Amino acid sequence: MTLPTKLQEIVDDIASMSREEKLETLIAYAESFPPLPERLKGEREKMEAVPECMTPVFLMAEKQPDGGLIFHFDIPPQSPTVRGLASILANGLNGSKPEEIILVPSDFYHPMNLQEAVSQQRLNGFIGVLSHMKQVAVNFIENKTAPE
Amino acid sequence: MSYAHPEYLVDTEWVANHLKDANVRIIESDEDPLLYSIGHVEGAVQVDWFSTLQHPLRRDFLTKEQFEEVASKLGITNDTTVVFYGDKSNWFAAYALWLFQYYGHQNVKIMNGGRIKWEQEKRPLVKDVPSYAPTTYKAKDADKSIRAFRDDVFKQLDQKKPLVDVRSPKEYSGELTHMPAYPQEGATRAGHIPTAVSIPWAQAVNEADATFKTPEELRALYEGKNIKADGDIIAYCRIGERSSLTWFVLKYLLGYPTVKNYDGSWTEWGNLVDAPIEK
Repeated sequence: MTLPTKLQEIVDDIASMSREEKLETLIAYAESFPPLPERLKGEREKMEAVPECMTPVFLMAEKQPDGGLIFHFDIPPQSPTVRGLASILANGLNGSKPEEIILVPSDFYHPMNLQEAVSQQRLNGFIGVLSHMKQVAVNFIENKTAPE
Repeated sequence: MSYAHPEYLVDTEWVANHLKDANVRIIESDEDPLLYSIGHVEGAVQVDWFSTLQHPLRRDFLTKEQFEEVASKLGITNDTTVVFYGDKSNWFAAYALWLFQYYGHQNVKIMNGGRIKWEQEKRPLVKDVPSYAPTTYKAKDADKSIRAFRDDVFKQLDQKKPLVDVRSPKEYSGELTHMPAYPQEGATRAGHIPTAVSIPWAQAVNEADATFKTPEELRALYEGKNIKADGDIIAYCRIGERSSLTWFVLKYLLGYPTVKNYDGSWTEWGNLVDAPIEK
């Protein structure tokens, strides 16, 4: 499998960490979680809901001039684990083209051994977020969402 | 009318006034364990229901010896007053408290309202992780009078005694095997245990600030469904965390003498061969 370069780097990096380092990294990702742009606040109905998550999670993407997607997430601050996991995906996939995003296998995260640090239910949510990001990418490919 | 055992509850103000009390240990126990790292009550230690309290191999809790080690590392003596708080209206705080009681720790309390109320009151959260000198902790043998195993549930059914199903109405009715909007956790059958009445856990707390409802409201809620003090009661949910909150309410806020938490809950019963289920 070929992952987008940035995502592959994150996977390799986290794979080499101890459990404590994984937790610290997840916290760092949660704390650097980008705020939802003002123009998207209160626009949940325009966003993709992720019902697999233990938390209300909404996401959407905007297409850049070069065709890459930038994802935006709406996740409450009371859920840092979900924010951290979503942030890993955003950091790894932002800028990738929809055609690259849909090829990310849903087991790409196995080498990171995140279950050391995070319960299986959370990882189900993580995969839920990825599958909805792919759905958004599919929508772009099929032109269901107006490109910029 | 007051709670039957009000000494099991403290308010946020009490906790704020006991942050430096050497006889008090404050424990945060959350559904989302990273919350502690993002900020916690000063001096509080963290206990995670999964990574701290579960047996590393079997589906069970720590052994008595392992529990002693955890308590020692947290600087808890047999006489320490342990105050639990957490996110989600204290679900996992109640779960941790229940386990401390299972191994005989007597002096336990819940901070009413938990993290939600503490944050609403704009009280400070810190990131410093405290360390306490290890203690010599002696746990008691597991107190099986507060924990139901599946055989206890079968006995309960034989004797036509009640269970309280604290899951969401759709889990009870069998439309779902997991909480709405929550992931599936692996039960192959849906429905509820016969004789169980549905009283979702959240009905025991005020939505606005996560505090417990008044004694009058709680009594009306449970007695209204025929869950009364003179009976043996078993509470269950999906993995035993929401039902430990209900266990706490029945045992300490209403003072029912015989209440057990069935931690196997639906993820055991819904997979058990030959177990009766109703929809």
